[in-house]
Amino acid sequence: MNTIALDPAEHHVKRLPGDLAIWFFILAEMVAFAVFFSSYAFARAKNVEMFNLYQQTLDRNLGALNTLLLITGSWFVVLAVQAAHRDDQKSISRNILFGFLCGGGFLTVKVIEYAAKFGAGISLSTNTFYMFYISLTFFHFMHVILGMVILAVLWKQSRDGAYGAHNAHGLESGAAYWHMVDLLWIVLFPLVYVMR
Amino acid sequence: MSGAFTKSMARNIFYGGTVFFFLLFLALSFDTLSQLPKRDMRANMTPQIAEGKKLWETHNCIGCHTLLGEGAYFAPELGNVVVRYGDEGVKAFIQSRPKEGIPGRRSMPQFNFTDEQLNAIVAFLKHVNSINTNNWPPNSQG
Amino acid sequence: MQYKSQAVAKPYFIAAIGLFVGQILFGLIMGLQYVLGDFLFPAIPFNVARMVHTNLLIVWLLFGFMGGAYFLIPEESETELFSPKLALIMFWIFLVAGAATIVGYLAVPYATLAELTGNNIIETMGREFLEQPLPTKVGIVAVALVFLFNITMTVLKGKKTAISLVLLIGLWGLAVFYLFSFYNPANVVLDKFFWWWTVHLWVEGVWELILGSFLAFVLIKTTGVDREVIEKWLYVIVTLTLISGIIGTGHHYFWIGTPEYWQWWGSIFSALEPIPFFAMTVFAFNMVNRRRREHPNKAAVLWALGTGVMAFLGAGVWGFLHTLAPVNYYTHGTQITAAHGHMAFYGAYAMVNLMIISYAMPILRGRAANSNRSQVLEMWSFWLMTVSIVFITLFLTAAGILQVWLQRVSDTPLPFMVAQDKIALFYWMREWAGVAFLIGLIVYITSFFVSGEEKAS
Repeated sequence: MNTIALDPAEHHVKRLPGDLAIWFFILAEMVAFAVFFSSYAFARAKNVEMFNLYQQTLDRNLGALNTLLLITGSWFVVLAVQAAHRDDQKSISRNILFGFLCGGGFLTVKVIEYAAKFGAGISLSTNTFYMFYISLTFFHFMHVILGMVILAVLWKQSRDGAYGAHNAHGLESGAAYWHMVDLLWIVLFPLVYVMR
Repeated sequence: MSGAFTKSMARNIFYGGTVFFFLLFLALSFDTLSQLPKRDMRANMTPQIAEGKKLWETHNCIGCHTLLGEGAYFAPELGNVVVRYGDEGVKAFIQSRPKEGIPGRRSMPQFNFTDEQLNAIVAFLKHVNSINTNNWPPNSQG
Repeated sequence: MQYKSQAVAKPYFIAAIGLFVGQILFGLIMGLQYVLGDFLFPAIPFNVARMVHTNLLIVWLLFGFMGGAYFLIPEESETELFSPKLALIMFWIFLVAGAATIVGYLAVPYATLAELTGNNIIETMGREFLEQPLPTKVGIVAVALVFLFNITMTVLKGKKTAISLVLLIGLWGLAVFYLFSFYNPANVVLDKFFWWWTVHLWVEGVWELILGSFLAFVLIKTTGVDREVIEKWLYVIVTLTLISGIIGTGHHYFWIGTPEYWQWWGSIFSALEPIPFFAMTVFAFNMVNRRRREHPNKAAVLWALGTGVMAFLGAGVWGFLHTLAPVNYYTHGTQITAAHGHMAFYGAYAMVNLMIISYAMPILRGRAANSNRSQVLEMWSFWLMTVSIVFITLFLTAAGILQVWLQRVSDTPLPFMVAQDKIALFYWMREWAGVAFLIGLIVYITSFFVSGEEKAS
């Protein structure tokens, strides 16, 4: 146990954190989103004015707040993984919990945003811009929920002492997924809310 | 790349991913069902149209024709046939099919429909033609 | 044969092949009717021939799936089947019900059949692929439930492997989604919307799980590659299948009255549908290349590789060709769809059944593999049928492109029948390719009766 910190081999061997299976899944998800984003760009190019017009109705402040929440969440998850590598049991579950709460904050903000939009009678069938806005954000919204389910499981497992310096495999897999959810939002937010 | 690849992780992702995408599909379907009344013209539904659909089904029309592009590709699209032939034209066509077929040609059976049945079929086909299909088919030939 | 009860698979396989022959014969009749319109009219109108052709396809595939499951599950679970007797009773019920249904289609006009079989109680008949009379539909559900009970009990009392779990999910899904065939509202859009829950979620959803598990099973047996490796990939592939395939249902919701956004959702996710098929092909070739032993049954390995490639081409590539909404706007409901349907069904489901039959039948007949002579014949039939289906697909694609051009894209669109007359040449070529397919099938059946030096089990 006390040799790991100075083991030179540890620093030279490139290791994929987490499970290869989760990386396949992440890749598949990223491809799906990439096709979705490209479709958005394609549809927008054919109708720039309409997209620009309705883009202004989106609440960018709430979007920015959500970006902050997700980045913070990702940061906590990074801390949790680092804590696992240090074998700092307490800090693992605490940081996962903070990450989870950030996700919860994201969902709350998003629900407020949706409530305003749906309240105004906007739906998938309103126009192409709103179709993409709702489709992309809702697709992502569900990913946040899935990410939070994963974090909840990790939290439970970490409380049972499942993770440590030599056993961070599952934790890293879940963390990788959570970072993907974050990354997707970092593309989605400027694309749909800001860029014109 | 020396990352581990475990069966239990692959299995969990299979279950999780399946549930996730099925829920998403349900959400979209739910939205669709709420939008359909604006598109499927259900407000115009009558018993005659329902009767026409039943005749359509019990004579297996879909075994040769397409309806909104679905079915067999042996005979013309009928979702817009009333546009091509008009109500009376459709009835006259169905009534005039020779019992023994047309030599050498694709032949439609003679179903011996009553006038009432013919009216129901036309009512059904007109109803289908009124559905909002996002402008499909591309032209009146179907 | 490791477990005595696996023997119940044999009648299922024999019935499957018998019905397959029927399917092809009726396919040839239809192909001829495409060019000689009044052939066999009014005795067997096109719609009847088509109904027999497609229903026989479904039924023989189901026979193959059930036979495959009865063979595979005891070996995976390492225990005898829960009830071999039940399996045999269900075999006869299903065969008689299936045969009676086909006779019904051929003997009386469809409307009379509907009248006689209680279609007035619940109107479910007359929808593509779901033409079965009510008693047959109820029978299918009953047989499926008893079958599932039998299989599930076997798995529960034995070992639970990834292969048997994926297979079970596939088979249960098959039964559950068939239930939508009983829902037929007068509202034609709703009818079509849920009709696809049976049809699409079968062939681009749960059936692919059955396909994957059969393929994984045969690969483990014939290549000797570690089960752990194969099962991991099985999970990855079926995950990819369902990720793309479930929402991919949307590619049927472009023009049937459903909201416009399906054009985006359907196009995006069905564009991903080739990925799992590609993965399956890579997987099959990879495992065979990494084989740890030379299995004497070369024919089964050939079918395993073939199903990967042909499913990718037929379902993946030919599906993608017309799945994007702007393309599909022109190709929807044309011979392009028929071309895709033929190669996809053959490549994915006919071939996977032929694969499991090829692997299991020699074992059921008391040997590890057939004689060399028999295998050579079987491989000839593989190539004859596969090359024939490729040509059928190519000719139908050509016919479809011309049809789209003449009838839909042109500035002066031609009426349907006028366009059909102009492309008759391709229908003739398709028919001859069909004859070649039948020859391949005859060679296939002959291979069962060719003896020679057998390989001990």
